[in-house]
Amino acid sequence: MKFLPSTICPKLTPCGSLLLNRFATLSFCLSLLLVSPYLLRADEFTFDLDEIEKSPFESGGFIELQWEHMDINEDSLFGSLSLRESPGSSYDRLKGSFQFDGSYSKELYSAHWLLKMSMLKDDFGYYDSVDLFTAYVNFQPLPAATLAVGKKPYKWGKGYAWNPVGYINRRKDPNNPEESLEGYITAEADFIRSFTGKLQTAALTAVFLPVYDSINDDFGREQDSNFGAKLYFLFMDTDVDFLALLGESKPDSYGFDFAKNISSNFEVHGELSWVDDGRKIVLADDGNLHTVEEDTLSWLLGIRYLTPFDLTAIVEYYHNGLGYSKSEMDTFFQFTQDASVLFQQTASRLLYDRAVDASLKGYGKPQPGRDYLYARFSQKEPFDILYFTPSLTTIINLSDKSFSITPELNYTGITNWELKLRLSYLHGGSFTEYGEKQNSVKYEIRLRYYF
Amino acid sequence: MFTIRRMINTAIGVAIAGMALLIHTPATAMDGNELLRQVDANMQPQSYEMYRKLINIEPDGTKKEFVLYTVKKGQDKMVALFLSPASEKGRATLRLGDNMWLYIPNVGKPIRITSLQSVVGGVFNNSDILRLDYSLEYDAVSMQEGEKSYELELKAKNSAVAYDRLKMKIDKATVQPMIIECYAASGMLIKTLHYSKIKDFGDGIKRPSMLETDSPLHKGYRSVMLFAKVTKKEFPDEVFTLNYLSKVDTLR
Repeated sequence: MKFLPSTICPKLTPCGSLLLNRFATLSFCLSLLLVSPYLLRADEFTFDLDEIEKSPFESGGFIELQWEHMDINEDSLFGSLSLRESPGSSYDRLKGSFQFDGSYSKELYSAHWLLKMSMLKDDFGYYDSVDLFTAYVNFQPLPAATLAVGKKPYKWGKGYAWNPVGYINRRKDPNNPEESLEGYITAEADFIRSFTGKLQTAALTAVFLPVYDSINDDFGREQDSNFGAKLYFLFMDTDVDFLALLGESKPDSYGFDFAKNISSNFEVHGELSWVDDGRKIVLADDGNLHTVEEDTLSWLLGIRYLTPFDLTAIVEYYHNGLGYSKSEMDTFFQFTQDASVLFQQTASRLLYDRAVDASLKGYGKPQPGRDYLYARFSQKEPFDILYFTPSLTTIINLSDKSFSITPELNYTGITNWELKLRLSYLHGGSFTEYGEKQNSVKYEIRLRYYF
Repeated sequence: MFTIRRMINTAIGVAIAGMALLIHTPATAMDGNELLRQVDANMQPQSYEMYRKLINIEPDGTKKEFVLYTVKKGQDKMVALFLSPASEKGRATLRLGDNMWLYIPNVGKPIRITSLQSVVGGVFNNSDILRLDYSLEYDAVSMQEGEKSYELELKAKNSAVAYDRLKMKIDKATVQPMIIECYAASGMLIKTLHYSKIKDFGDGIKRPSMLETDSPLHKGYRSVMLFAKVTKKEFPDEVFTLNYLSKVDTLR
């Protein structure tokens, strides 16, 4: 049966019926227009259960392309050591990386791996490398107990830029703290216990780290066994770790760290480390290198604060008890300057090679000094640009007042793509850490695709 | 004499009104808190797992989606693992009461985060993604009863809670929230949450399967959360610890 206006209301004239018909049609169309956004919205979002199906084999990774341009500080002392053979005012570097990580799980066992391949081309040549950063097997007989054997990275400590209690950590780059690092071959046991009350969690991680001919040979003295332990407590809403490293490869070390949220936008964290007979290579006035052993205390104190306008500030102060003092750095700079002049005048490499050796053994490492300030400010999605994060990072050597400053733009708006633009500017006078670095400015573009 | 009697009458009237107010306020608050506990009970079981899809929608219609596996135990323990997209896969967030941590596989260690930050961008922040029971974080300060709904005004129990005040509109028939307005301590409206599409997940779990949010601070932007496979499940307490964050996927 077809309902016409005249059917509903038989007294209507044909003309009136036509008008009502048109009105009804118009009303229907208008109502469709009004309702359509909601009709569309109702079907706009779907959640397919295939998306959440679990497979025992999981894999992922990324492909990355990175271009860097560096302006050389031609008068710098570190530049004179590393670029003596091929001086220039600037150079470019193109780098490609491939990371493949994954896991395979079966019942109580799981295997994990992370493979990294890099290819680098710069003005001096071509280099490539393939490294297995991670390869270990987990056995988890109980939710509260896990045993692991294989190559595994450790990231002990609460600091963002530095970790004085990271006794079995690889050194991280404070400008890229989220990058994956190579592990050490270890055997590990992990136990967790939860409680009700002020003490909510206690956990023990015990690690055996051997050093033999081709196993962990870059960790320390060879033919030795090392034991690391981390005892964690969540006590009164505060993370607390007690850490220790005992063994012959490195000096015995003991530490403590903590982190706590003071409020919904304010966090504090810190680390304290004691090293028995900590060792460092020191350049004496006579130009000889000596190993100095002394008990040392290192510590770090940091905050993380979120402002009402979504600016996150991370600020850390770091005292490295095993770092070089201002006078020790001055001795090294003076020696390197004299050695460079001598090399230029006489082509004698004796002192020059000794300066290179001192640089490689300590003075030329990142942040070799004693006192540093790290600050990073990042603004979440300014101007309502989603997934866009500009940030500014600075590292200041408090002893010589030199610093690096790194503005950065990061965009992750296209699913699985990340674009990073970064500029690093180093500033400092003569005989200062950043004033004597090889580069004065570095431009960097990085494009990464995750799969 | 007349004046004195009138003064006494007025004083008695004021006293009675004051007492009535005093008696009324806690009664309302108690009813409101009871209602809030009922809302929590109707929204989810005490211990369960679920899958969620978060969708951020930009004014031009561009979307970005995140899929999370989530487990919760009791009122204050919750962990969420990112399953996709690939750039976020393996990230896990843990909440124990007011404490929150983020685990990034490459970084390899959990870092403390705050409830007002957002690990996914868009309008949802960490406290929306790791939401605990409302009755754990808020006290009812007033309740109004309408024909088809209740309106509750809630005040945060402490400064660690992400939103200082909530205005919650509750459907009378299902005793589940329909609209929640979230306010800062300054009184500024931060965002509005809209629950919809009530779905029967089985085993007595019938709750909204969609949560949509918008914010006057991000005009034109929307974020949507879809819920799937909400299932009762028991978990040991050890699952909700920092040492377990790298192993959350083994629970699926």
